[in-house]
Amino acid sequence: MNSKKTILIFILLIFLLVLLFLADLLTGPVHIPLKEFFHMLSGKDAVSDINRTILVAFRLPKAITALMAGAALSVSGLQMQTIFRNPLAGPYVLGISSGAGLGVALVVLGFGSVFSGHEISYLGNWVQIMAAWTGSALVLFIILLVSVKVKDIMTILILGILFGSAASAIISILQYFSQQTMLKAFVIWSMGNLGSLSVRQLYVLIPCILAGLLMSMIQVKQLNLFLLGETYAKSMGMNIRISRILVFISTSILAGSITAFCGPIGFIGIAVPHVVRLILNTANHRILIPGTILTGAIVLLGSDIISTIPGRDVILPVNSVTALMGIPVVIWLIVKNRRLSSLN
Amino acid sequence: MHKEILTTKSLSIGYEGGGKNQKRLFSGLNLACRKGEIIGLIGRNGSGKSTLLKTLAGIIEPLDGNIFINDLSIKGFKRRELARQVSFVSTEVPVIPNLSVSELVSLGRYPHTDWTGRLSPEDIKQVNISIDQVDVGYLSGKPIAEISDGERQRAMIARALAQDTRIMILDEPTAFLDLPNKYEILRLLNHLAAKKGKAILFSTHDLGIAFHEADKIWLFLDENIITGAPEDLILNKKFFKLFDNSSLTFDLVKGEIRPERSFTGKLGVSGEGILKLWTVRALERIGIEAVDKDQELNLSIDDIDGELLWRLNDYKTELIFHSIYELCLHLKTIIN
Repeated sequence: MNSKKTILIFILLIFLLVLLFLADLLTGPVHIPLKEFFHMLSGKDAVSDINRTILVAFRLPKAITALMAGAALSVSGLQMQTIFRNPLAGPYVLGISSGAGLGVALVVLGFGSVFSGHEISYLGNWVQIMAAWTGSALVLFIILLVSVKVKDIMTILILGILFGSAASAIISILQYFSQQTMLKAFVIWSMGNLGSLSVRQLYVLIPCILAGLLMSMIQVKQLNLFLLGETYAKSMGMNIRISRILVFISTSILAGSITAFCGPIGFIGIAVPHVVRLILNTANHRILIPGTILTGAIVLLGSDIISTIPGRDVILPVNSVTALMGIPVVIWLIVKNRRLSSLN
Repeated sequence: MHKEILTTKSLSIGYEGGGKNQKRLFSGLNLACRKGEIIGLIGRNGSGKSTLLKTLAGIIEPLDGNIFINDLSIKGFKRRELARQVSFVSTEVPVIPNLSVSELVSLGRYPHTDWTGRLSPEDIKQVNISIDQVDVGYLSGKPIAEISDGERQRAMIARALAQDTRIMILDEPTAFLDLPNKYEILRLLNHLAAKKGKAILFSTHDLGIAFHEADKIWLFLDENIITGAPEDLILNKKFFKLFDNSSLTFDLVKGEIRPERSFTGKLGVSGEGILKLWTVRALERIGIEAVDKDQELNLSIDDIDGELLWRLNDYKTELIFHSIYELCLHLKTIIN
């Protein structure tokens, strides 16, 4: 691919990103006139206090969260597809979302009988976030422990899936014995939500995501070599274990943080990297990672706009929207390429 | 005479694994490879060729003993230092969509670039030289998923060349290739050894090719590895050990390997040179031994102005065939 075309695509992606970011700010149950919106952007005061609050305290954090989550999940999906050389790998193959889910389930369902629902919501969602984080960190820790001992990457993949299943099984047990209100709180968490973050929480989320993305970009050289498989990577002097662990840590920070704050958001991480490979026509992570960051953010902002159903005051769970958008992409890729194994 | 560049001292190879899981394939190996030399590794399936090659390339740890490059133990090498001395082409030829030939070859510069992996002008020059050396310049912008198996194998060799190492190790580089491609790859390796002074080790199941193109053979037998020029191994009969417990024999005169035959009938054959040679081969295949004429049944082969005729004669009647295929069809009905 010539570099001129690549640059053009990047300009287009950035343009789309800005456009969708603004569109996301504009959509929501409350209608904010376009004129007022631009007045605010240009710093004029001719905006009602309510609309200002809606924009600054609700829609702006939500749009930034969508941007961060889209970028983070897509990059971690790309990393997992590369390192496992498997086109169906995603940010959650290591069991990170199940770990987070288990953490949340333990707090919401397990201790739900100790606290009342009201008390939990009073503690703010920080408890929930910390629980999710701890859960995914625990899974990461187990995976890292395994990857120090186990050489075969496929064994790690299978163990990741098994840990995830084990966590899901425990969640099921907790669900079975929990009260209705707690169950609902957990189910809502598991549907994903981009709009629950406060500005203060963003101050925590943003550095985490930037750190994860930076780690990923530092690993460009190693990720490219992982494409050829570990035997070749080793024969060219790469330290497989360290590189693998760094990629796992980066993936866990990215996917773990997003899952902790927003709940599990599916299919973005699997579908976006494929779309990016297709439009940029390259396997080089130096181009793929920035492309994936932009496209992931665009897709999740788009999903968020769809989920608010412009003109109505109903909001769909964002997880359903990403699934309904992502699954056709994956199906299309499978049908188009016939052989799934050639997708990565 | 060139200096030995790669040597092993009391090397033991096999698979690691705690206690009983350890599988030791060979012990006490003292092997050597010189600069500019091309060595073919030959042995039955599972004889340990891949394991030895991977051990020499630093991918598998030796169980015991030591490997030296220019008299320096590779234990003292850092990963990247070793990767600048030894390159490896495995049996696995990855098919990665959207990866172009030149991008693939560039990956070979890994041990030479800094942490960002950016290619310097020197790196780019080396990549282009490598692509030219294997004659895939016309493919450099093409995705590796869209080129032929032979071309892809060349690209993989170019990647190893870009690594700019003095030792190249290739595990079955000619597997899955058609005959012209097999010879092309070997001629390329031969050229790299002779002209660029590289030490090249490759494993193969194509005995004919290995015997034609390798300077030296490492013959993997059950107990040990025997080395020597291909012709030495034939003359000292070590080579025949490869066919122990198999139904194959090696024809010392023709230099070809073929299945051992048991015959169910005899046929007197008379004819000239090549015509007779190929007819006899067909007869042997269907289990008929070709002997001198004056048998109960005789065959004479004639070339009458370019028309080939096989006359089958039992003193009473004569049958004429226009092809070996027809002849064999008829003979099969007689012997069964």
